[in-house]
Amino acid sequence: MSLFFKLVHLLPGRRRAVEEEMREELESLAALAEAEGRRAELGSLTRAAEKGRAVWIWSWLEQFAADIRFAARTMKRDRGFLFTAVLTLALGIGANTAIFTLVHAILLKNLPVVDPTALVRVGDHEDCCILNEAASSREGSYSIFPYETYKYLRDHTPEFEQLAAVQGGGADLSARRAAGNAMSHSSRGEFVSGNYFQTLGVQPLAGRNLMPTDDADGAAPVAMLSCQAWQRDYAGDPAVIGSGFYMNTHPVTIIGITPQAFYGERMTETPPDFYLPISQEPTLGFYSARNKAELGWLFLIGRVKPGVPMASLQEKMSGLLRQSLGELKDFQTVQGKTQLAKAHVVLTPGGQGVANMQHRTASSLYLLMGLAGMVLLIACANIANLMLVRGLARRSEISIRMALGAAKARVIRQMLTESVVLACLGGVAGLLLAFAGTKLLLRLMFTQAIVMPVDAAPSLQVIGFAFAVSLLTGLIFGVAPAWISSKEQPANALRSANRSTHDGSSLLQRSLVVLQAALSVVLLIGAGLLGKSLNKLQHQDLGLETENRVIIDMNPMKAGYKPEQLQGLYQQIEDKFHAMPGVEHVGLTLYTPLNGDSWSFYAYVQGQSAPAPGQDAGTLFNRASPDYFKAVGQRVLRGRTFTSADTATAPGVAVVNQAFVKKLFKPGENPLGMHIGLVDIKNSGDFEVVGIVEDTKYQNARDEPDAIVFVPMLQSVHIGPPKDLDSSLYAGQFVLHMQAMPPDLEQQVRRTLASIDPNLAVDHYQMFEHQIEENFSGERMIATLTLLFGVLALVLAAVGLYGVTAYSVQRRTQEVGLRMALGSSRRSVVVMVLRQAMLQAAVGLVIGIPVALFCVRTIKSVQSQLYEVAGRDAGVIAAAVCILAVAACIAGIIPARRAASIDPAKALRAE
Amino acid sequence: MDLLQGTLEMLVLRTLGLGPLHGYAISKAIRAQSNDVLEIEFGSLYPALKRLEVKGWVSAKWEVSEANRRMKVYRLTDVGRKQLRQEHSKWAEFASAVARIMGPLAEGGKG
Repeated sequence: MSLFFKLVHLLPGRRRAVEEEMREELESLAALAEAEGRRAELGSLTRAAEKGRAVWIWSWLEQFAADIRFAARTMKRDRGFLFTAVLTLALGIGANTAIFTLVHAILLKNLPVVDPTALVRVGDHEDCCILNEAASSREGSYSIFPYETYKYLRDHTPEFEQLAAVQGGGADLSARRAAGNAMSHSSRGEFVSGNYFQTLGVQPLAGRNLMPTDDADGAAPVAMLSCQAWQRDYAGDPAVIGSGFYMNTHPVTIIGITPQAFYGERMTETPPDFYLPISQEPTLGFYSARNKAELGWLFLIGRVKPGVPMASLQEKMSGLLRQSLGELKDFQTVQGKTQLAKAHVVLTPGGQGVANMQHRTASSLYLLMGLAGMVLLIACANIANLMLVRGLARRSEISIRMALGAAKARVIRQMLTESVVLACLGGVAGLLLAFAGTKLLLRLMFTQAIVMPVDAAPSLQVIGFAFAVSLLTGLIFGVAPAWISSKEQPANALRSANRSTHDGSSLLQRSLVVLQAALSVVLLIGAGLLGKSLNKLQHQDLGLETENRVIIDMNPMKAGYKPEQLQGLYQQIEDKFHAMPGVEHVGLTLYTPLNGDSWSFYAYVQGQSAPAPGQDAGTLFNRASPDYFKAVGQRVLRGRTFTSADTATAPGVAVVNQAFVKKLFKPGENPLGMHIGLVDIKNSGDFEVVGIVEDTKYQNARDEPDAIVFVPMLQSVHIGPPKDLDSSLYAGQFVLHMQAMPPDLEQQVRRTLASIDPNLAVDHYQMFEHQIEENFSGERMIATLTLLFGVLALVLAAVGLYGVTAYSVQRRTQEVGLRMALGSSRRSVVVMVLRQAMLQAAVGLVIGIPVALFCVRTIKSVQSQLYEVAGRDAGVIAAAVCILAVAACIAGIIPARRAASIDPAKALRAE
Repeated sequence: MDLLQGTLEMLVLRTLGLGPLHGYAISKAIRAQSNDVLEIEFGSLYPALKRLEVKGWVSAKWEVSEANRRMKVYRLTDVGRKQLRQEHSKWAEFASAVARIMGPLAEGGKG
């Protein structure tokens, strides 16, 4: 019987085979007895078969219990081995389990709602948040919709049980309880359609659900409060339900609390505190998006009736979308009509809701999963090696057991039981480690989280995963040693095992070490590339100065300011903060570089014809106060920036960056003095270009700088009809450039702003460099973990190399003694041992480097991580080679010195 | 007649010591050799055979008999042969000890 055949004894399939064979045998006996006319002698064959089966099962169980007892006993004898092996396994299994916890919680889990698999999302991307519908598609695929289009789609699709709409972005709210003199809370709201909770099948924890009637025109203003916000901000006070609130100064009644586990229709670090009906948006929001048929701002998610085919529904909805969009002015031009012809929707599974976090993190998580898997493989190789060494030490024991009649299969099973028991011990320790590790991972991943979107506590699935990985690990590292032990010749027990020089394990051991070295080189090169890429990202020239600068977020709209009051407010902010000791510059703006916010418009140069269809004339748009450029350290190349004379009524002026010049002006043209306009070609005389500033990265630290145009804080850009509120007039942030950073600066800032207007709160206070750092938190997490895994892999590989070298030195004691007796110098002995160790490391390098290069070239999630670093960066590869060489040297030198210190006389006497 | 604990396995080993046999033949052989005194129920013999197989004392193989039937035939393994020798000497010791105690009864005692 082959080894494989013996191993499968343990499997259900094999048990069935045993049963089948028993049945066949008994039938053949019955047939024989029948032929002899003595069938009665055999009695009931069913009973015989039953008893026979019991023998198999019992013997299996007994042996299993005995194996475990025996494994425990042998391991207790060998505590050093036990400790090393369990620690190694715990690190390997722990790393995998920690990352699996995240993979499971983020990528594999559905929303905590009724039957999430029946949910369907209309759209396949998450571009956000308030977009001109004409510019919101990705190659014709629409995912964000105007309210009118939502209503049209909803009313013409009976295939949906419910089709709900939810705001793409969040609503910035200042919420205050009406009763008593409560403080305002800066809160997050989300506008949802009246059937939102019905669609998801979510029942309120307390109070009542939001209903479609609450979303009707003229309905009383109501909101649902999230359970987390209820506990956190209002101490779970039951009186909140039914009580009145002021939100952005408008009265709203709280009608109910959402359930504990519910976090909205998407996973996010900033889940909504309040769910408000869309009918409230024109009052509480700042954009009147509900009333603008051309603004896409709603994501759609619905519950489809059973049995509706998705393909035909998708086809039908695409048709409906084209009909609805066809009504819009933007789609009636020549360009618009070609765009309309391509317009369509893609229906995607909605069980995870709006899955931007999933899409954002998937490639990183899978990459980490792969890295952790590699570490575990190295750990397996290490323990297999330890087991081999131990197996050789136990040779005589096993030989004797076999001489006494132990079957080969029995020995193999015994060894495998030992390794699985060991792996399970490692698995338990790994689970503990994983729990701590997951918490660390979450902190690295969600640096700014208000509410951790993921629970670190291991779930049943995670425990199951850890157990399965342990079992698999045990089998992987146990098979080779078990196989070798079973080949033991009983006669070996009588000989001195130490002297045999040819045995299969030695080559196997070396191969395992080579594998370890190769894998750790792959990880080290990966860590090097990612680290270098992060370093480049962080230390690139952004065209800004960040030292001694703080960024303060505020929202005068929430505090009830009218546009005509803003001039006075901005003047006061500039004056009051200038008066603070140590302040150099105060700069107001809509948004600062890399804070995650952006405005963009089409730009038109006076005298140029309209851009051809398909030509990208979009540019970032921002506003700046006179001191803003100095405050963020953005350098002026030509012309001037704004002054206090550039008021709302003064002639329009604009400052553009180099990328803008390159994108919109002809080569060699002098932009200074020329006029540009935004939004519509008829505005192209609005602003005179008075200055050109250096390029800076505003939106994305990885991409080339975008074109951007700045205009003074209060000059109109004609975004919408004149009667509409122009929300771009409201500053969102201001920057303080300090001479030095006093420790109580934040308190001073809060006091100063409150002294201007008590309703004006500091929504967020942050150092400029921290705001920029946050852009790299994902990269930092990946780089940190890869480095951690790389170091772990290196240590494990070094330990493996040390173990094998030390063992071979021990076995070759007599040989070395003989060599020295015959005149070998101690130095040549050291060289001999070291050469062997280095050779293994070198073979590992030869295998590892091409594998690493291949991985970097072919795995997309690795490539997307790298910034201005070539996949085959010579410096990184050289560093990885050096690090491995040093580690191999250290691992080899200890046994080499031990070999050199052998006393020839003693070694030969032992013969 | 009832058997002592473990005796059945010994009898099977002894029977197979004479040569390979299939399950039914073992049961017939034991009966014939004991002159029909020991009638082993097949329901007991079969699990005993399986126990011996699990312990590795006997091995089984499908063979085609002279009557052209496919039968599963059991034979002693080396380990089983060793075991048989041990059991045999133990049994001999046991049997002679019992025999010494149970020596012939005095017929028709004075009483």
